[in-house]
Amino acid sequence: MKVAPTLQGGLRIDVESPVDWMVLRCIPYDARGGDLDLAERVAAPMAGDEGEEDWREFVLPDLRDTFNSQLSTIEDALAEATDEEQSGEVHIAREDAELWYGGLNQARLALEERYDFSNANPLEMTPGMRSAWFRSQFYLHVQSVLLEHVMH
Amino acid sequence: MAGTLTETREDVALDCPWNVIVHDDPVNLMGYVTWVLMKIFGYPENKAAAMMMEVHKQGQSIVWSGEREKAEFYAQQLQSHQLKTSIEKTE
Repeated sequence: MKVAPTLQGGLRIDVESPVDWMVLRCIPYDARGGDLDLAERVAAPMAGDEGEEDWREFVLPDLRDTFNSQLSTIEDALAEATDEEQSGEVHIAREDAELWYGGLNQARLALEERYDFSNANPLEMTPGMRSAWFRSQFYLHVQSVLLEHVMH
Repeated sequence: MAGTLTETREDVALDCPWNVIVHDDPVNLMGYVTWVLMKIFGYPENKAAAMMMEVHKQGQSIVWSGEREKAEFYAQQLQSHQLKTSIEKTE
């Protein structure tokens, strides 16, 4: 798999094998896995504020919609591009870069919550955890390219 | 016949400002936090980067202060960018 910025200001992912497609499909899968409620998580510091109940009632549903739309954008792009036995390309337009970044962040966050990578030694990980760690590193790499070459 | 004099006084006080606070989260890239602060508040890069470093080193940073309604708006914007955010009334 190759990831590179395009002349149009977006990003292109060259997919070279069925495993590459599988890794990309893991983005929404990882993000939706587990019991993480990202809206609750980012709003957690509001706990104790006098407006906490209103925040839960009026703001959190909008946040959930925002986070779901990020994953839907990725799922739609992959559904459009996927031919599981063939090499192919996934294009991330400049205007979709933020949505992809957010979806990748959700996936990385969910994996971190599940596996606590920051306190783990890669050499001592189980195969499943190591696989998740590599995916997390890949998501981080794509995020870095998006941030440096597309979103700025 | 004596009249009644009614005197009315107005007492106007400014509401205490509210702080918008971004909290540290090891998952978010430092460059992303800086980018979000530049995007939402229009801060120059050096100011946004200084706030980001404060979040990173101190665990949190006050990124804006002002009236409550705007503070809530900014907090929602920051949360929609996956930054842990709260608001608090200044003392």
